[in-house]
Amino acid sequence: MKKSQRRGPSPSVPLSTLAARAAEALQQERFKEAIELTKLVIRQDARPEWKESLAQAYCGRARALAARGMFKEAAIVLENTLAPDGTVRDSRLYVTCLIRDGQQPKAAAYLLHCIGSESALPAGERAALEELTAALLLAVPQLPQPARAAPPEPSRWRELATVSRAAMAAWIDGASAEEMDRHLNRISLRSAFRPVRLLLRSLTAMPRDAERTRQVLETIQPSSPFFPFRQAMEAAVPGARALDADGWSRLTPAQQAFVAETSGLPAAAAQFLARSAEAARGGPAVLFAYLLKQPDLPQADVRSACLNLLPRIPDRIPQFEKSFGPLSGLERHRVKALAAEARGDWESAEQSWLRAAETIGHPDADRQARLSQGVIFRHLARLAALHPEMEGGDIFDDPVIFYLERSRQADPEHIPAVLELIGQYRKQALPKDWHRLADEAVERFPEDSQVLLAATESAVARKAYKKAVGFARRLLKINSINPGVRRQMIELQVAHARKQMRSKRPDLAAKDLSGAAEWERPDAPSPLLRIARGLVGLQTDRKEQAETWLREGVELAGGGVAGWFLAWLEAELMKCAPGDIGRLRQELANASGTPPTKQAVMAIVAALTQPEAGDNKRLVAGLPVGVRAWLLQAAAIDWSAAEFQALAETLVRLEAFDLLQDYARVARQREPANPDLRFHEIVARTRNNGNLVTMAETDALVAIAEAAARREDFHAARRIGRFLDGNRRLSVGRRRSAAALPDADHDDVVEDFIEAMMDDMARRSAEGIRGLVGDFGREGAAVQLLEQLRSSPLGPTMPEPMLREFCQAMVAKAMEGCRPKHAEAVRRSRF
Amino acid sequence: MRDPFTVLGVDEDAGDAEIRRRYLALVRDFPPDRAPDRFRDYRAAYEALSDERKRLETKLLRTNEAALSRLTVAALQASPSGPMTARATKRTIAALLADGITRIVTD
Repeated sequence: MKKSQRRGPSPSVPLSTLAARAAEALQQERFKEAIELTKLVIRQDARPEWKESLAQAYCGRARALAARGMFKEAAIVLENTLAPDGTVRDSRLYVTCLIRDGQQPKAAAYLLHCIGSESALPAGERAALEELTAALLLAVPQLPQPARAAPPEPSRWRELATVSRAAMAAWIDGASAEEMDRHLNRISLRSAFRPVRLLLRSLTAMPRDAERTRQVLETIQPSSPFFPFRQAMEAAVPGARALDADGWSRLTPAQQAFVAETSGLPAAAAQFLARSAEAARGGPAVLFAYLLKQPDLPQADVRSACLNLLPRIPDRIPQFEKSFGPLSGLERHRVKALAAEARGDWESAEQSWLRAAETIGHPDADRQARLSQGVIFRHLARLAALHPEMEGGDIFDDPVIFYLERSRQADPEHIPAVLELIGQYRKQALPKDWHRLADEAVERFPEDSQVLLAATESAVARKAYKKAVGFARRLLKINSINPGVRRQMIELQVAHARKQMRSKRPDLAAKDLSGAAEWERPDAPSPLLRIARGLVGLQTDRKEQAETWLREGVELAGGGVAGWFLAWLEAELMKCAPGDIGRLRQELANASGTPPTKQAVMAIVAALTQPEAGDNKRLVAGLPVGVRAWLLQAAAIDWSAAEFQALAETLVRLEAFDLLQDYARVARQREPANPDLRFHEIVARTRNNGNLVTMAETDALVAIAEAAARREDFHAARRIGRFLDGNRRLSVGRRRSAAALPDADHDDVVEDFIEAMMDDMARRSAEGIRGLVGDFGREGAAVQLLEQLRSSPLGPTMPEPMLREFCQAMVAKAMEGCRPKHAEAVRRSRF
Repeated sequence: MRDPFTVLGVDEDAGDAEIRRRYLALVRDFPPDRAPDRFRDYRAAYEALSDERKRLETKLLRTNEAALSRLTVAALQASPSGPMTARATKRTIAALLADGITRIVTD
C-alpha cells in the first residue's frame, strides 16, 4: 500500500510561527501534533526550552495513551525522554505502564537503577516507590543483573533483596523458627523491606501469639503493596471469629489459596474451595457443571445452589431435573421469570411471574403463600412502571395500579403497598379511588403516621375539613412536631376563611383563623396565617391588632415586594374591600423601588403556584404595574438552570408570555450558547402553542432535544417533545384518567359516546382487528385504528382522547374471550 | 448488591431475632469507623432481611448463594483447630505480591 505523505508545515514557515503553533498544540493537549511540530523546531534550533517542551509533549502523549489502556505504547513514548542518567521524565507513570503491561522484571530493573538517582524519584513519592521497588524485587523470578560499576545504593538494595528472597524461600521450605530468626535478622527494619520481615516474623510467631501478630500486621498500611499479604494472613490467623463464607468471598484468589494452604485443610476441602472458586470465576454454567459432579457433598445444598444458578442458565433445566427430579411449579416459573428479566423480555417475565403467583395458591392459601403472592405482584408493579410493554389487567388498566391492587388483595396488611397505591391513584387523577382507599387504610391502620398523613391529605383535597382535623390531631399525637401537617391544616383553614370572606362573612372567617392559630407552633409562625388574620381583622372592629398581624405577616414572608405581594394576593383571593386592596397595591408599589433578589422572586413564584392562585390567571394579568417592572428587572439576575426552569413553568402556567419572553431574551444575551433558553424564547413567542412553531424553529428544537437526550437530560428532551407535539400527547392504553382528558367533567359524555360507537362494532370485522393485533400488538392495533378514524369524516369532529379511547375499546372488545390462547398466538407471531 | 444471606452468614430460614443478633455481632467486629465498606454491606444486607416480607422478596426475586455458602463454610470448618503450621507455596506468595503491586499501580 502506498504510504500516505505526511502533511506538515512547508519548510518556508518561519521558526517563530512553528514554535508558536507547537506551543499552542501543547497547551491545547494535542500532544501528537505538538511532538511533530516541536521536533521540526528543534531540528532548526535546539534550544533547551524547546527540548523541555518536547519532553512535556511526550509525557502528555504517554498519559493520554495510558488513559486508553495502551500501556506498552505509553512506555515506549516515555522512553523518548530518557536522560543520560538512564531515567525517564515521569518515572511513576513509566513504572505503572510497565507493570500494567506485565513487564515486572523491566520495572524492577528500572526502579533499582533509579534508587541512587535523586532526580528520578519525586520526594513526595519516594517512600511509596521504594516499597513498590522492594515488592517488585521479591516478586520477579530473578533479580535484575547488576550494572557495571553500580553505585553504592543500588548495590545495598540488591543485598537486601537477596536476603529477603532467601528468608521467603526458607519459610516456604518449612524452616524452623530459629533458622527463620537468623534470616530475618539480616533484613533491616529501617529499609523498604521491613514489611517482609514483619510478615515472615508473624508467620513464624503466629501459632504462639495471635494477638501480637495482629498488632504487628496493623503497621502494614492499605497503601503498601504488601497489604494483600497482610489481609491473607489476618484471614488465616486462628482467632475468635472463624472465617465465614462472606469473609472467604472477600479474599482474592491468591489470598484464598494462601488461607487454604496455611490452615492445613484436608485435601478434599481445600480442593473443593479452590475448584468451586475457580468454577465460579468461569461463570454459572461452569459452576453448575462442577457442583453436579460432587456426589459426596450434601445433596440438598447442592440442589439449592444449582437451583439458584438456573435463572442465568435456563437451558440447563433438563440437566437439573435429571439429577434432582422435576422442579416444582413455582420453581419452574420463577426460574423462567428471572431468566426472562435477565434478557429484557418483559412480556415473558410478566407471564411467568403471573403463573408463579397462580401456582402459589388460591385465596384461602396459607399466610406464607399470600405474602409471596403479594411480593410477586409488587415486583410486577415495579417492573410495569419501568417497562411499558407490560400489559397488566387489560388495555384500560394502568398496569402499576392493577398489580398494586392485586398485591393488596393478597397481602392487605402491607402498609407500604397501600401507600404506594394511594399515591398512584392520586398521581393518575383517580380521586374516587384515592379517597376511598385513604379512608379504608386509616380505618385499618389507625395508628400509622404515614397512613394518617395520607388520609389527612386526602381529606384536605376533598375539603372534608372535620375529617382532616381529626386525622391531623391523631397524627400530632404520634408526632407532635410534624410541621407538614401543621402547615397543611393552617392552609386548609385559611382557604375556608377565604370562602367566608368572599361570602361577606368576616366574623366566620375570623373564627376559622382563630382555629387555624391553634395549629401554629410559637417557634414557627405562619406568614400566611398572620396576613390572613390581618386582612380579616381589617373588616372587623379589631383594626389595630389587624394592622399588627398584617405587618408581622409581611415581615415573616420576607418583607419588601415578596411580603407585600403575598398580602396583596391574599386580599385579592379574599375579595377584600377595594380600599384595602388599593392600599396594599400602594404598599407593593412603594416596596418595588428596592432591587429584586432571587429569594424574593422565588417567593412570589411559590405564592403564584398555590392551587387557588395558580388557577386565577386574572391575578397575573392584573399585576400592579410597578411589580411587573420589578419582575422584568429580575430578568437580569443570573438564574441557575433549575431556577429558570421553575420560573418559566410558572410563567407559562399563568400565560405570562411577555414576561417569559423578556426573561429568555435577557438570559440569552448573558448565555448565548445555552440551548434551553432558545426553547423558552420559542415557547413565549408561540404562546406555548406547538402548532405555531416555524420549520426553522422545529429543526432547532429537535436538535436541542437530541442534545439533551445525549447528555441524559431526559426531562428537557421530553419537555421539548411534548411542546412539539402541541401538548397533545396523552396516555395511551392506560386506565382512563381525568388528567388524560381535556375536561374531566365530560367523562359521562365520553362514555355514552363510546357505548353508542361500540354498538356499531358488529359492522366491523372483529377478525380484522384481531389481525391487526396479531401484526402490531394491542397498542399498535389501537394506533392503526386511530389513524383510520382520524382520516375518516368522523375524525375531525371527535376530540383526540375520545378517538383514542374508542379505538382501545374496539381492540378490547374484539379480543374478548381470546386470552390466553389467542394472546399467546399473537405473542408468538411477533417473533 | 451481594447476597444478603451470605453477607450476614445466616441461613435462609433464620428468623428476625437471629438475623438481628448476627447483624449486631458483625457490626461490633467491624464498626463503621474502622471498616466502612463492610459496615455498609452489613447494613444493606440487614435491611434486605429485616422482616418477613423482605426475606421472601430476597428469596423469590433474586438468586442467592446461601446454599453455596453453606458448602463453603462446611469446607472451611474442616480445617484442624490447632495452630497454623503449614506453609504456602512459592506460587501463592508470588501471586500475593503481584496482587499488591497491581493494586498500587491501578489505584
